[in-house]
Amino acid sequence: MNLEVLLANYPYFVAVIIFGVGTLIVLTQPNLIKKVIGLNIMTNAIFLFFIALGNIRGGEAPIVDPAAPAALYINPLPSALILTGIVVGFSTTAFAMALIVKLYYFYGTINAPEFMKMR
Amino acid sequence: MLPWSKLPFLLILAGLIPAFTMPVFARWKRNFCAPYAVIVSGLLFSISLSLFVKVLNGGALHLHVGGWAPPWGIEIVIEPLSGMMAVLITGLYFLISIYSYSAVRKEMNEEAQGWFYVEFLLCMTAMLGLVITNDLFNMYVFIEVVSLSACALVVSKGGRIAVEASLKYLILATIGSGFILFGIGILYMITGHLNMSFAGAVLAGNAAGYPYLLWAAMSFFVVGFGVKSALFPLHLWLPDAHASAPSPSSAVLSALVVKVYIIALFKLFFIVFGLELYQESYIRWLILILASMAMMFGSFFAFVQLELKRRLAYSTVAQIGYIYLGIGLGTPWSVTAAFFHLVVHALMKTCLFFCAGAIYYQTGRKKVTQLAGIGSIMPLTAAAFTVAAFSMVGVPLTGGFISKFMLAQGSIEAEYPYFIILIVISGLLNALYYFPILWQVYFTSPPAQGENNDEPHHAQINESGFRWDQIPLSMKIPIAVTALGIIALGVAGIFAYDYLQRIVEFFLC
Repeated sequence: MNLEVLLANYPYFVAVIIFGVGTLIVLTQPNLIKKVIGLNIMTNAIFLFFIALGNIRGGEAPIVDPAAPAALYINPLPSALILTGIVVGFSTTAFAMALIVKLYYFYGTINAPEFMKMR
Repeated sequence: MLPWSKLPFLLILAGLIPAFTMPVFARWKRNFCAPYAVIVSGLLFSISLSLFVKVLNGGALHLHVGGWAPPWGIEIVIEPLSGMMAVLITGLYFLISIYSYSAVRKEMNEEAQGWFYVEFLLCMTAMLGLVITNDLFNMYVFIEVVSLSACALVVSKGGRIAVEASLKYLILATIGSGFILFGIGILYMITGHLNMSFAGAVLAGNAAGYPYLLWAAMSFFVVGFGVKSALFPLHLWLPDAHASAPSPSSAVLSALVVKVYIIALFKLFFIVFGLELYQESYIRWLILILASMAMMFGSFFAFVQLELKRRLAYSTVAQIGYIYLGIGLGTPWSVTAAFFHLVVHALMKTCLFFCAGAIYYQTGRKKVTQLAGIGSIMPLTAAAFTVAAFSMVGVPLTGGFISKFMLAQGSIEAEYPYFIILIVISGLLNALYYFPILWQVYFTSPPAQGENNDEPHHAQINESGFRWDQIPLSMKIPIAVTALGIIALGVAGIFAYDYLQRIVEFFLC
């Protein structure tokens, strides 16, 4: 793989790097809110990946004007899928936040390692 | 009059609409929630039975959502595998909802009882959708609904341990679905199709062109589904979640939720990637190694647990290993064994969690060490527990024996006979942690009077010390039915074998 291919397809690599960063945050941060932020970074990286794979260089928005048809349209399907993905991510975040609030009532902290000491 | 060809849509709608009308009952008529859930799951059970009869002799039903043809629209396919899973899910749900009538009242506080059924039905609907869909993104959506409602089922009991377990489950499950979505993105990038059959057809011709990308997609799927279905080193969420949930939830989670992810992974591997690609890739070895480790370490971890439900949860980790082993070997016999074990384990684990819940209902005991004398005060529960435990170990005339036997044949067929040693050792390890419980249950005398003041019926013991279970009929029936089902599968497993062959023909040939 040469550098030109890498540079031409940079959105994919950026998406993979952000995905890794998000996963790392989820797995390493002790603070639960930070974990949820990490989850959001991770899912947003996937959304970026989807949007990037729907894009076509030089393509136009897929609104077909019969008078002046464009030569290339971008693929609207991944963007439409990601709308669903965003909703799912939102509900997951909301649920996680509700659980964290509940845990805060029980323990008075949102630092995961301190739960173990309090048990 | 409903046209028969539209019946599979009812499979999803008939669960989804009651799930969202349940809050009305939860708010005003709390007593109606459980019967409503029983009726809904009974209706769905009859629908899936009628679909099951249609695919009994092979073949498949194809349906297009909204009338859009497959490459563009969402396709629903009822093949033998999804027909079997639909019957298994709805049938067990029918029993679990009957069981939950009393168990939920005992184990949950007042306000949570109605809301429990919302997520209970939602989880069933999403699982049904997950097994019948043939669309990659639709699958992802159903996966998310299953994991969110499963987390809600865990937390429904309240209490800090349950909340903590649920959050742990939620975070890990979200990481898992992130990985799955990434894999779906890569597949869409390669093939340009979201329909699994079409994506598979494109891949079959062009797989050699994208070796690294395909390996990446496969690894993403294995990690994602591995987290969700608790493949061995990724099982960390499972014991907490399954042990802290109320008994009906534990039965659902342990018997069905982890299984549908395995079904989804199997479909991805055998419809999209295809058998050839699967056998060439090293992913298969990863699955085999992890499955063997699960069979060993799951049993070891189960052995040291003192809480009954926790022990059962770790046992699930080990049993998931059997199913993955069968799929990993990838020969007709082993895949047949994997699906047989899937059905048998669903019945066994439901039965065991039912028994754990019944013991808690009558005596309030949770620890393995407190089970002395249960055999004389709860004979029915003890008998059902014995049947399920024997099946776990693999004693002949129970379902577990046949699945282990088939798995052994599968490993001979795949020319890795040393897996038989593993299967035998794992069966012995199962015996190691189930038989002490049985010994306690039957051959030790109950603790002296006054030690357990919270026992409601302690004074009623008659001269011989024997009496029937003091649990309601709504608990006795499901326990008896699952125990009889295990024996039926063990005795008449050969009939199930014919059907499982059709699944194997559908996917492997």
